[in-house]
Amino acid sequence: MIYSLLVLSPPHSGQGASTAVQFARAAISRGHSIHRVFFLDQGTYNACAAQVTPQDESDTLQQWVDLAQESNVELVLCIASALQRGLIDSTEARRYDKQAATIHPAFVISGLGQLVDASAASERMITFGC
Amino acid sequence: MILHTLNRAPDSAAFRDCLRFLTADDALLLLGDGIYAALKDSSSSEELAVTGASLYVLEADASAAGIVNLLGNDVTLVDFAKFVELTEHFPRQQAWH
Repeated sequence: MIYSLLVLSPPHSGQGASTAVQFARAAISRGHSIHRVFFLDQGTYNACAAQVTPQDESDTLQQWVDLAQESNVELVLCIASALQRGLIDSTEARRYDKQAATIHPAFVISGLGQLVDASAASERMITFGC
Repeated sequence: MILHTLNRAPDSAAFRDCLRFLTADDALLLLGDGIYAALKDSSSSEELAVTGASLYVLEADASAAGIVNLLGNDVTLVDFAKFVELTEHFPRQQAWH
């Protein structure tokens, strides 16, 4: 089946984000495909490129990046949620005259329409709350 | 036929809301702090039992919290593969958080 995920949980606060990425891996292992992961509200912090994970904790950012690269999963941040939190790509950095991009390039910034589209294009939409 | 997921502790508004909507056809998967709702002989586990919904707990979270041996007998522990299997079986999910 085609799955999409909605991630509301930030990394390193509760288990939500880590649960979401492990769920995605397990779904792919069971023969499903992940069409898109949409990050909303605090969930957009998952894309922060500057986060440094303590050595004894799991690196959620790297797990998202691996998921995107190995399984061709689209990682989309809600633009309103991301910009308010200072999570910008190079295009937004130029647009708002900021010094640099702050999100990992494995993620893209787009509108809430991408969540609606994911929901319409997928047989399952699974939400991971914060 | 809804898969409910709850990741808030049993003293939360999310737990009360979830409880109100659970039916015997549904399943409830407890995640994060939600796992404490399934503690043996707790008032929350008794309230959940009354709904008739099937009760599941994410093993990774229960094990991280060290409460695997303190869960009620009517609880089924699930790994991530089994979590996915639940979403295959239930066409809709309601996340309480």
